[in-house]
Amino acid sequence: MFVTAWAPDKHLMTRRFVLTSVAILLVVIGLLPILAMLARSVVVDGHLSLASCRGLFASGRAWVLMKHSLALSALTTLLTTAIGLPLGVLLAKTDVPFRRLFAMLFTIPLLVPPYITAVSWFDLLGRNGLLARYLSPSLAGTLSTWLFGLPGCVLVLFSTFLPIVMLLTMISLKTVNPRLEQAGRLVAGWFAVLKGITIPLIFPGVLLAAMLVFLLTLGEFGVPAFLRYDVFPVESFTQFSAFYNFGAATAAALPLAVITFLILAAERFFLRKKTDQLQPAPDGEWSLIELGSLRGALFALVSLLCLTIVIVPVLVLLLQSAALSTYVEALNRAGDSLLRSVVYAFIGATLLTLVGFLSGYAIHIRALSFWRSIDALTIFLFALPSTVTGIGLISLWNRPWTGFIYATPAIIILGYLAKYTALTSRITISMLTRIPPSMEEAAQIVGAGWVRRMGMIVAPLAKHGLIAGWLVGYIFCLRDMGITMMVYPAGRETLPVRIFTLMANGPPQLIAALCVVMIAATLLPLGILWATFETAMRGSDR
Amino acid sequence: MERAHMKRGMAILTMFIVLVGYLGCRRKARRSDVVTVYVSEDEVFSEPILRDFERETGIKVNAMYDTEEAKSTGVMNRLIAEKDNPQADVYWANEPIRAEILKQKGISAPYFSPNAEDIPAAFKDPEGYWTGFSARARVLIVSNKVSDKPRSILAYTDPRWRGRAVIANPLFGTTTVQMAALFILWGDDRATAFMMAMKKNGVSMSTSNGESADLVASGQFDFSLVDSDDVVSRLRQGRAVDMIYPDQGEDDIGCLIVPNAAVLIKGAPHPEAARRLIDALLSKATERKLAFADCAQIPLHPGVETPPDVMRIDELRVMTVNYADVARKMMEIQPFLKRWAGL
Repeated sequence: MFVTAWAPDKHLMTRRFVLTSVAILLVVIGLLPILAMLARSVVVDGHLSLASCRGLFASGRAWVLMKHSLALSALTTLLTTAIGLPLGVLLAKTDVPFRRLFAMLFTIPLLVPPYITAVSWFDLLGRNGLLARYLSPSLAGTLSTWLFGLPGCVLVLFSTFLPIVMLLTMISLKTVNPRLEQAGRLVAGWFAVLKGITIPLIFPGVLLAAMLVFLLTLGEFGVPAFLRYDVFPVESFTQFSAFYNFGAATAAALPLAVITFLILAAERFFLRKKTDQLQPAPDGEWSLIELGSLRGALFALVSLLCLTIVIVPVLVLLLQSAALSTYVEALNRAGDSLLRSVVYAFIGATLLTLVGFLSGYAIHIRALSFWRSIDALTIFLFALPSTVTGIGLISLWNRPWTGFIYATPAIIILGYLAKYTALTSRITISMLTRIPPSMEEAAQIVGAGWVRRMGMIVAPLAKHGLIAGWLVGYIFCLRDMGITMMVYPAGRETLPVRIFTLMANGPPQLIAALCVVMIAATLLPLGILWATFETAMRGSDR
Repeated sequence: MERAHMKRGMAILTMFIVLVGYLGCRRKARRSDVVTVYVSEDEVFSEPILRDFERETGIKVNAMYDTEEAKSTGVMNRLIAEKDNPQADVYWANEPIRAEILKQKGISAPYFSPNAEDIPAAFKDPEGYWTGFSARARVLIVSNKVSDKPRSILAYTDPRWRGRAVIANPLFGTTTVQMAALFILWGDDRATAFMMAMKKNGVSMSTSNGESADLVASGQFDFSLVDSDDVVSRLRQGRAVDMIYPDQGEDDIGCLIVPNAAVLIKGAPHPEAARRLIDALLSKATERKLAFADCAQIPLHPGVETPPDVMRIDELRVMTVNYADVARKMMEIQPFLKRWAGL
């Protein structure tokens, strides 16, 4: 932890000013919209009224939505954890072939908007899908019915969120001291060591991943909306967009906010200390499990899973959009939306990196007395469904004198900042834990001001974290639909929104081509940056 | 050094505030080369029309389109939310009821377009708050495996079709309009009895007209009441279905016509460009394009060329309704429809 008590007041002033400004910014762009929304929903004709909440809960519909939302979140979490944990172990700790390639492939569904995966499954299993040509009408109908409901939503969200559990398991495994496993191996086989030592040690990390999957599924709008499964985020969107019932929209959003808050509170009390303790293990001999005779079978199993949830959906989209003319039409129709998406994602990622860096720094060094509130606020906003944040932004900024925000793409950027600062903030915190506090302290002793220390010491040392944060920010801004759909000004839509609006009677091959373009727009810059980064790293190693 | 940084920070903040203020003021400048339109008609059909307008006039069109999930009312609700701070100039509604609601809420402004003079009065608001163009008809899509085809919407209550019919959720879209029109035409008692008899006869409910059309095309149901464009698109895909215009007999109620509607927004930021866009939407050329597009909409201007599978308005027996009454009735019957749909 940084020692700051002895720092001269003048050095602290700038730091306090900048970090407080960031905290105020987060309150204005994140908390105020939510409060404005709440105020607007409980004040009817100048009087306090809870009629909307009563209406929702009295009808019995709330309980159906609650059952659906919890069933979807619980099943998705269960499945992703049950498969993601062994998959992570397999890819991080065993000699299964092509481990790095598999890890990269399994990550792809997380990088693309989940509803694109849903479109792909619809193109395959829908009533008029590719598979229906080879099946009897009744079987095709059964498959389609199965897709449009809980099983279909679970399938899509499982493939989307599986990488979260897989990657966090892989990262957590790096925190296990290999000597402990080696000691265990002296008296037992690998299975017993994994069961008795490794898994219990990484359990907090896995639990954190499961919690993230639960919250992200709970707030997911695009997939249940596309696959017609009624959950709270869809109800909230429909109440606002189809019925213009602001009170009912907020009422439908409230259970989500409450559940999110409770889960985050539980995480803070029961899990935070344990996950904070997960630090990279000291250098030692990394124990790799030799699978022996199981190697081939497990390789086949992993390949089959990868084929089913990663390769097939992409292949279906490619098959559906096979003609070059389709791509020409797709780019002709949505080229401007693609460009806008990339520009907004670039600006969003850059601001997210800056705000996330400063808020992460404030949390890490506990620079402000209310650092816990900043941390809680960013995580709460991340977990809150996008439709809720979107409605909140409209309530706050839709005024004649704030037209320069509401009527311009600035409203979308504010939405990105409200929603995704937690990601860049957390990445910054994990990076700062690896920088010895003595570095900044030494500069402070010789008289370097705070801005100088940040610019010349902390930021350069945290540059890998900043780059990773920017990339994560870029991906999440690019794939965002929930917030953008709610708030975008006319003529300023992004590609995900364009795909969604074109789905109404748009030709399936055009939609498929746009989905492929969207995947390419996400993966190409990522691939280029990753390759550049790898080359630079190799160069610096030499 | 530190104080210098602080001063620099304050200077940057001040410049930012000035820039933001400048941008805010600059937006208020009214331009005639831009128009903002909120569109409920499917993007795939409306966008080419708007692009043609851009090309022909040089006026840039900023459009916001609806999604299926918002049940084609999302942009209308943005208009309601923006009543005191209008961003849109024009609303292209895909049916006149939403236009009526906007009129009743004081969000639209009157405009009599010279291009709308020969559009029949039944499809225009007498006070000019909306003007209809290019219509869909509410028709029956019938599986072509069915030999003796249903000819009336009353087939929904005929025991012969028990469990063989499907209808879209009446809480949304043109099915709501249809039900409200029946409540006006028949009176509350008869319309309520009709809907209860439908339910008793084992009607299934789908999420949309498009899904109903697919269910019939795949042979799972014999017929459904949908929009004419849903049927034409399935026919053009070569699906095994037929289109029946219902209730066309001498004493029958006729089929409901659902025109698009062009609406000028009150306090529109670009009123001149808005009027030009409305004129273009109401032109014969636009109606011809929408008739030949896959939405296959029926022109309301007389003498507009149509493809063979699109009927002309004067060949149809049209249900006589006042859309303003339908809009009011639609709000009134919402609780009943919610109960009927089991929500």
